[in-house]
Amino acid sequence: MKPPVYLALFILILPLQSSLLGPLAIAGISPDLVLIAVYVIGLLTGPREAAVAGIALGFLQDIHSAGFIGLMALTHGAAGFSAGLLGRNVLNIASPSNILFLGAFSLGEALLVTLFLQMIYGSVPFFGMLFARMLPAAVYTGLFGTLVLQLMKSRKTLELLTRPSVQKEF
Amino acid sequence: MFAFIGRNKKVFLALTLVVFLFWLVTTQVESGRFRFLERPVLALSGFFERITSGAYASLESVWDRYVFLVGTHRENLRLRDDLDRVHLENQLLQEVLQENERLRQIIAFRKEAFPSSIGVRIMGRQVSPASTTITISKGSDNGVRMDMPVIVAEGVVGRVQTTLGGSSRVMLLTDPGHALAVRVQRNREDGLLEGRISHCALKYVSYYVDIQEGDLLVTSGLDGIYPKGLPVATVVKVTKHEASPFQTVVARPVVRISQIEEALVLTQ
Repeated sequence: MKPPVYLALFILILPLQSSLLGPLAIAGISPDLVLIAVYVIGLLTGPREAAVAGIALGFLQDIHSAGFIGLMALTHGAAGFSAGLLGRNVLNIASPSNILFLGAFSLGEALLVTLFLQMIYGSVPFFGMLFARMLPAAVYTGLFGTLVLQLMKSRKTLELLTRPSVQKEF
Repeated sequence: MFAFIGRNKKVFLALTLVVFLFWLVTTQVESGRFRFLERPVLALSGFFERITSGAYASLESVWDRYVFLVGTHRENLRLRDDLDRVHLENQLLQEVLQENERLRQIIAFRKEAFPSSIGVRIMGRQVSPASTTITISKGSDNGVRMDMPVIVAEGVVGRVQTTLGGSSRVMLLTDPGHALAVRVQRNREDGLLEGRISHCALKYVSYYVDIQEGDLLVTSGLDGIYPKGLPVATVVKVTKHEASPFQTVVARPVVRISQIEEALVLTQ
């Protein structure tokens, strides 16, 4: 990605997530825009850059929330690395399979966090959280992310977002 | 050894980073959440949230007041306000009745239940699988301070976690880092209610305590943060394990946090 794109992403993604996506929430569940951004970076750049971007965006999300600093950095870093590997070997930005992978990433991340909460605090209502929050959020993130990817798939948009060294791979 | 590390330095670098992040997270479990960079991030995001939520509110207002039926909307707002007030009065009356039974003074209770407050607008809701927070439209310039309770007519929303001049972040009742002292309204048993993202968990309830699904949990005031008697959550599941001295109690907040647009910050 180009440096100005990263700068805009770092400044705007959390306000966009918390205020503009609020009205799109269904029963209090919104798509995870940060995860979608990390996934897109993974598909467009590769595992290393996506892992670093995931860690940085995760840190930002951690600081902006009330959770432990580093938890989302860890999970988003892993998500970025995995998305980078997928983008290099299996997927491209226009693939319909992105809906499944994004949903799986969202669910996987939520499961990891839930496991962590269970280890630290205990008494986590796992099935309640799975059906009330994790699965709906995964489906919504998958659908919304795929829509974002479809909007981005034109060559002009990709050229606008990515560095020339990355564009050769398209 | 060093030659092996040198050959695989990218792998070692990645592993070191993962170990560092894991250490960072686990350290906070004991020492509490680190608070570095919190204020600049909140200032920056609060600035953009104010712009984006203001623009959205203006658009919504134009639609609601001028495109959609003007009279119906106003009447709906008035009726909703009435309903909220009646709901709160009803909850408080139940509390007052129980207080009477134990010969407590009503005036003291009312003083505690109606402290002075500041009206705030919800500017943003953060989305994270590990935390639940919202941003509100008033901060330290308006008298909002850390740990002040945030409520709506139906009950408790959370407490102020960080404040800036014109905005604050509120840790919601469902955040895993949030805990408050509650009491079962029916039998006055005390407990500690902790957030679990989509639900809450009532901790340290003895195996022998009578607690049932549908029981209303209200603030006990023992934490020194929340005033006594505010509705907090309803018990939805109770599980007893023979091996444990405590029951596992899951509760759902009475306030539908995803639907609130305004709230009150209690300043006393």
